[in-house]
Amino acid sequence: MQPETETAARENLSAVLTPEIAPEELDLDLDMVEAYGLTSLNKVLFLTSVCEETGVNLGHFTEHDLAAMRTLRDVAEALSRYTNEAV
Amino acid sequence: MPRSLINDIVSEAPVHDGRISFARLDGTETLTLAELYERAGRVASGLRRMGVAPGDRIGILAANGLEWVLLDLAALRLKAETAGFEPGKFEPDAELLARYDIKLLFSDRPSDAPGVVPVADVRLLSEKQDDDEPLLPVHYGPEDTTTVKFTSGSTGTPKGLAATAGSIDSSLHAVQEIFEHGPGDDLFVFLPLSLLQQRYWIYSALRHGHDVTISTYEAAFATLGRVRPTVVMGVPAFYETAKRHIESRARRAAKTSSPEDAVREAARRLFGDRIRYLWTGSAPARAAMLTFFDEAGLPIYEGYGLNETCIVTKNHPGASRAGSVGKVLTGKQVLIDEDGVISVRSDHPVNRRYAYAAPGDSERVFGEDGTVRTGDLGHLDEDGFLFIRGRADDVIVLDNGKKVIVRPIEEQMKSDPAIAECVLFCPAQTDLVAVVSPSALPADTEAIAARLARTNSSVERDEQIRRVVVAQEPFSIDNGLLTSQFKPKRKQILAAYEREINDTKEGIHAA
Repeated sequence: MQPETETAARENLSAVLTPEIAPEELDLDLDMVEAYGLTSLNKVLFLTSVCEETGVNLGHFTEHDLAAMRTLRDVAEALSRYTNEAV
Repeated sequence: MPRSLINDIVSEAPVHDGRISFARLDGTETLTLAELYERAGRVASGLRRMGVAPGDRIGILAANGLEWVLLDLAALRLKAETAGFEPGKFEPDAELLARYDIKLLFSDRPSDAPGVVPVADVRLLSEKQDDDEPLLPVHYGPEDTTTVKFTSGSTGTPKGLAATAGSIDSSLHAVQEIFEHGPGDDLFVFLPLSLLQQRYWIYSALRHGHDVTISTYEAAFATLGRVRPTVVMGVPAFYETAKRHIESRARRAAKTSSPEDAVREAARRLFGDRIRYLWTGSAPARAAMLTFFDEAGLPIYEGYGLNETCIVTKNHPGASRAGSVGKVLTGKQVLIDEDGVISVRSDHPVNRRYAYAAPGDSERVFGEDGTVRTGDLGHLDEDGFLFIRGRADDVIVLDNGKKVIVRPIEEQMKSDPAIAECVLFCPAQTDLVAVVSPSALPADTEAIAARLARTNSSVERDEQIRRVVVAQEPFSIDNGLLTSQFKPKRKQILAAYEREINDTKEGIHAA
């Protein structure tokens, strides 16, 4: 997992949470829906934003892949597989 | 009423250049509406070979996509009914088929149940030339039903309501009258096609020659900017999410441009640069959200309607008033009784009873002529704009006989950034006590107290809030204090905070 991808994932998740939780306080291994009350729309927006920011084409993933990303680590690892080709 | 749109789109191939696109995360597939019509005809032949006859019902439980649309149009061409099931809320099993009298269920979920067909097969049906007998012409009378739609029921079992062709024709005609969708427009749909209203925009495209884009839910935000629609069909939760995103992006960009320009630019990046208007409905929208989009250069129009009534009122470019849900559409009549409770009479009712519901449900909602008792409170102003004030069961009657409608007071409290939700109770029938869900932890009690003072100064004496109990954790779906539609659950909130609500020493006291 690349540190800059993890940072982008933390920042973008933090931005969509209500109440807001600081990026550094987010636990990489907690279920984002259960632990942080991430709504389905916010999850979609969060993933769209983090892909945009890291230069990863969201088209690499299917709707099923998105559903399978439950933790911040899942997201960061999935994106890290493609960030090399983005730069 | 003008010519029946439903009868038009089942009997003639479109002769315009309108297109339909299907957006997924991995790309977009576009075809002309004329091609869609032809392929739907082949699917209809395929369904007929599979034994589907006029009057039969097919179920569809799948994510938005070409197959969904082909099945819907094919069923219309056969005069078979559809039942659209929202993914995640239903399972493709034998019980579902039996409960709703489904002959075949098309699903993108794996299932071994007899009668369940993989939805992917539909694409193959649509691509294969067949030598079958031509389809027989079909005609829909205004009382014929085309589909069963589902609405949440008090027992937890969804109520099924069959929609008449006349009600669909009437609604689409009324909407077209005020929005004039036509060539050059592209209507963006991402909410589940199991919601009949989302399929309206496909029917509208077939008839009026505009484009329509059907997105999966997951691809909505990613594809909006790429698709560059002129209209987005959304709901308040979607626009609230978009608003936060735009604000966050604008804050970052504000270092290099003015805050107003930064917001407009961030909004354009998310929604594209061709938006004519944003449609919102299904749930009440916050005034702050509506104002935000209007000021960001994206006009947004709120309306009012229930599953049982279809669209009743709608703000639109020709008649819009802040705080209202618009004027009454052609073909609808809003009746308000002496208690302020709204009923809706339609020239062409959606139906006169539920097809599937618990005993008594139909009688509680529908009058004999199809008039729907909504349970909502409201009033029409002198120009005919409808204002919704809350639910009839949200009225608190004080011991002095005064009726307090809680929603406007709660809305005032909620307009504060420190407050996510506010629910009012009246434990002793005299004083109002609010339970507030804070926007952030720790709660900003100073801001909440200031908002309490401002709210109290703007309402009548009987409507003033005596105390505010601040919830220990924000209401959420997980802690059981919000519904899946993000509405507060009053009974559960009362149960969770009963001690604090009744203890006069608790909470922030009004000055």
